[in-house]
Amino acid sequence: MAIPISQVWTVATYVWKKKLAGVKRYPTVLMLEPLFRCNLACAGCGKVQYPPHILKKQLSPEECFAAVEECGVPMVAIPGGEPLLHPQIVEIVNGLVARKKYVYMCTNALELKKRLHEFTPSKYLTFSVHLDGQREHHDFSVCREGGYDIAVEGIKEAVKRGFRVTPNSTFFDGTDPNSVRAHFDEMMAIGVEGIVLSPGYSYDKAPDQTHFMGRARVRKLFRAILSNRKKSWKFNMSPLFLEFLMGDRNYDCTPWGSPAYNIFGWQKPCYLLQDGYAETFKELMETTKWEEYGVGSGNPKCANCMVSCGYEPTAVLDGFLTLSGFWGMVKGTFSTYKSRHALKQLNEWDTHSHAPLVQIEKSARALEETNA
Amino acid sequence: MSAEVLKYTREEIEALEIAPGAVHENLEGWIPELASEDDLRQALEKAFDYRGDVTITLKNGERVEAYIFNRQTAATLTDSYVQYFSPKSPNKLKLSYSDIARLEFTGKDRAAGKHWEDWLKAYNERKAAGEKNIALVPEKLD
Repeated sequence: MAIPISQVWTVATYVWKKKLAGVKRYPTVLMLEPLFRCNLACAGCGKVQYPPHILKKQLSPEECFAAVEECGVPMVAIPGGEPLLHPQIVEIVNGLVARKKYVYMCTNALELKKRLHEFTPSKYLTFSVHLDGQREHHDFSVCREGGYDIAVEGIKEAVKRGFRVTPNSTFFDGTDPNSVRAHFDEMMAIGVEGIVLSPGYSYDKAPDQTHFMGRARVRKLFRAILSNRKKSWKFNMSPLFLEFLMGDRNYDCTPWGSPAYNIFGWQKPCYLLQDGYAETFKELMETTKWEEYGVGSGNPKCANCMVSCGYEPTAVLDGFLTLSGFWGMVKGTFSTYKSRHALKQLNEWDTHSHAPLVQIEKSARALEETNA
Repeated sequence: MSAEVLKYTREEIEALEIAPGAVHENLEGWIPELASEDDLRQALEKAFDYRGDVTITLKNGERVEAYIFNRQTAATLTDSYVQYFSPKSPNKLKLSYSDIARLEFTGKDRAAGKHWEDWLKAYNERKAAGEKNIALVPEKLD
């Protein structure tokens, strides 16, 4: 695990204070979306498909700070849209750092290199750079040739200037695990703090609904990727969440763990599903029918979701609040997850459907055996 | 929402290889018939899901262009409302279901044509034509 001790301590004390206070539902990270405007046009992205008058709107720094204070989280992720397009993003980030919030500033890094001088390195600030694998895979994923090279230049410059940097990858059906592992090697060689990853998910608002893995296939892919790890790889995530992706743990979703706030208000119930909005965080927590969401609910909208915004909070709480979870976290930090079965899967991975430019196979394939 | 939650067994969910995604209707240009209370409720639910502006005609004859981002349903139409942004106002606005006479899906569906296959097709065509630095670019905002 690559997360600094001070951050781990801050989150651990936060969840213990909540437990001791008897609070049952509380967030660990706020997904603060200051705008939906983006300088990429990724096919299938459901976050930026709005009319121009909506894309022109943005949260003010004051609205951002009020949302953070209102929900009281120790960590804030700033996705979007592309946050670097927000004219006051530096003021927003600086204000959050001044409040001692651990900020994950998400960016596609197209503008990162030329904007870096406006930011100050801090243990509270991490640039979380969208990078969906090696050059060819990333460029195709973000629908822009040359996007990878620009992003990697930004990453290198940020590392050189002393910023915390975590490449952030989403993997869809058709991902080649061997290429992902090579991507990890490349990123660690650059000197990033750790890698962040998540499977894609066919959330309702995504325009493309045909290219998302079901849970069995997610486990198979991540078992191939994450077993037999190299010691050089570091992950900026809970080891228990990674075990969940590999099928070693069963978790339910904690949809209130990563609430989203944007120009519409507090999004119900989570960062990816949009079942309406609440005016206040209190209203979100009190009026959302939480029992109707998450894999345990049987809600088909949640059926294939294994995304970090819902399941990493579960893993974090398990790791800090239970002895078995804490022990699992310690073991997971040092384990390489040796598995002969996974190695065989990796070596025999069907790369036919992962050829360049045809990353994704549309037809429903026969049920594949998984060892999850 | 409650009635819409279909029940999969946990075993069925865990065994899924490919996720059955939602089906998005082509609603651009649609003018729903609002003959009953149910018609209105269903049409507004679709308007809430729609990734474009709609035009609402109020019972007093006023026409409102709106991006509907929220709806709150209650037992009566009077107590049910939509929240929206209008291109002409910076503020969030609210409208009771009971004030709505007509609904038109007039705005461009911003999610249409954003499928992976559309990108694949465009990429292959442009590559075959010898184009370099192929990219999809965001639509202009003005």
